[in-house]
Amino acid sequence: MPRPVWSGTISFGLVSIPVKLFHAVSRKNVSFNQLDDRSMSRIRLKKVAADTGEDVPDEHIVKGYEVTKGEYVVVDPDELEPFIPSATKAIDLEEFVDLADIDPVFYDTPYIVAPDKSAKPYVLLAKAMEEAGKVAVGTFVMRSKQYVAAVRPIDGRLMLSTMAFADEVVDPAGIDELDGIGDITVTKKELAMAEQLVESLAGDFEPERFRDSYREQVLELIEKKAAGETFETPEPAAAAPKVVDLMAALEASVKAAKEARGRHPAAVQAVPARRSKAAAQAEDDEDEAEARPAKKAARSRARKSA
Amino acid sequence: MEVDGHELALTNLDKVLYPATGTTKREVIEYYARVAPVMLRQVEARGVTFRRFPNGVDQAGFFEKRCNQHRPPWVATAPGPGDHNGTIEYCVLDGPAALVWAANLAALEIHAPMARAEDLETPTTLVFDFDPGAPAAMAACARAALAVRDVLAAVGLEGWPKTSGSKGLQLYVPLNTPCTHERAASFALAVGRLLEREHPDELLTSMTKSERTGKVFIDWSQNARHKTTIAPYSLRARPRPTVSTPVTWEEVARAADGVDELRFEWPDVLDRVERHGDLFAPVLSLQQALPVPAG
Repeated sequence: MPRPVWSGTISFGLVSIPVKLFHAVSRKNVSFNQLDDRSMSRIRLKKVAADTGEDVPDEHIVKGYEVTKGEYVVVDPDELEPFIPSATKAIDLEEFVDLADIDPVFYDTPYIVAPDKSAKPYVLLAKAMEEAGKVAVGTFVMRSKQYVAAVRPIDGRLMLSTMAFADEVVDPAGIDELDGIGDITVTKKELAMAEQLVESLAGDFEPERFRDSYREQVLELIEKKAAGETFETPEPAAAAPKVVDLMAALEASVKAAKEARGRHPAAVQAVPARRSKAAAQAEDDEDEAEARPAKKAARSRARKSA
Repeated sequence: MEVDGHELALTNLDKVLYPATGTTKREVIEYYARVAPVMLRQVEARGVTFRRFPNGVDQAGFFEKRCNQHRPPWVATAPGPGDHNGTIEYCVLDGPAALVWAANLAALEIHAPMARAEDLETPTTLVFDFDPGAPAAMAACARAALAVRDVLAAVGLEGWPKTSGSKGLQLYVPLNTPCTHERAASFALAVGRLLEREHPDELLTSMTKSERTGKVFIDWSQNARHKTTIAPYSLRARPRPTVSTPVTWEEVARAADGVDELRFEWPDVLDRVERHGDLFAPVLSLQQALPVPAG
């Protein structure tokens, strides 16, 4: 069940229609969590000072605006407080315009508008706008932020799209690559060919034809892995591939040492976990005696393969 | 105050850094000044990381890797591993004055890497860090350390134990011969996994917290190039002023039997140093090479 992200009223003139907003698009990117490959522990980000690496407690974190490189003006939340738009709980429709008047570049995030409590005024507005072929433009506040929004009818329902502010839309004049394209002349023949090409590819818009194949492949991979290796977490051995050889070598050495010890009547305790102080002492002495030649062997081995 | 020919301004000496014991900064400085002769040999050639607790151990402390900008000019620094393969300048504690200066910054904990600053790619020591997951405690760590000692002995290697000063134990295996961080880590992991296979109910080599209950985690990854381990003789920022203390194998064996908790606070450590000298001295000099598997 989708949950509403906002509820309030659409108001114009003396009319006010209670509505709720729902996300119209749910993004389907595959998101990964960062893990420590040795422990599968989730990675948590810490706030540290960029210059010293020291942890910075929350009470010391302030908002700074970079005025010039390296120079900041610190702004206190109290100073911002008066400018934060108050939650008016109303979408104030200011004018009704033709759909074609709005360049799609302005559209930002789409929401489904649904009636809250009584549906009749909602249906009435949707129908009237559809008949008139108009789109309503208004403003509202959501999560302490001011938005411009377009409300348009579709199939007896209403949709709302938040919109970019005019000064947020990038002026194409600033893009050098576009300079002078108006001066380029094309011949009638060239144009006819291009039109023909466009025409040959003309069709109806079928959004379902376009798929995010990357996401589908990633999900397929994950599904396979999850099915086949449900509890398989990468072993530390993966990071240290030589360990298996090393373990075998160590095991052989331990076995040899135990056998040697077995022949030694003074040391009967081979299990390290629990032993008396005397046995530990005896072993200490024995290690002294045994360790030296073994060490020499280890050293010469190391040299050989180096 | 003058230490070793360097003028030092010591501040807030009466500030209590360990409220549980009333231990003041004056005592912390006294401890570091008196332990300096043995401790400095263990850390002096290394770029160290501080863990500072200016408001005492009851308040949050912070790691300081980059050597403090306001250090006196005579405090040496050396490049060490930084972010994104870069380097940053670490403090090098090369004399008693530098150690006292660090103590005055309430750098209660001093962490050191396994490699010396002059050769960051060569660890001079291999470390096994035994970290108990409750209810496992020191006794289990001691048993694990003894088990590792036996494996080491089988390949002709010797190691020296110290407490972490917290809950666990650490075992330092002196190398002082050419080696790499990767080889040291692989070797430590191989030993750990061998023992994990023998004692699956007691030991583990994976970091997963949930699996650690009642087991000792053999942390082999402390051998990584960028990792540091609490330095021998460093205080810990625990409720009481405990120290990462070099101990004898006899003491470890007693701890394994549950007879000794191996908890030493700073006055104990000064006594021990007087009695035993530096139990970790061989770690600095003994040359040992890790075995290489045949083929």
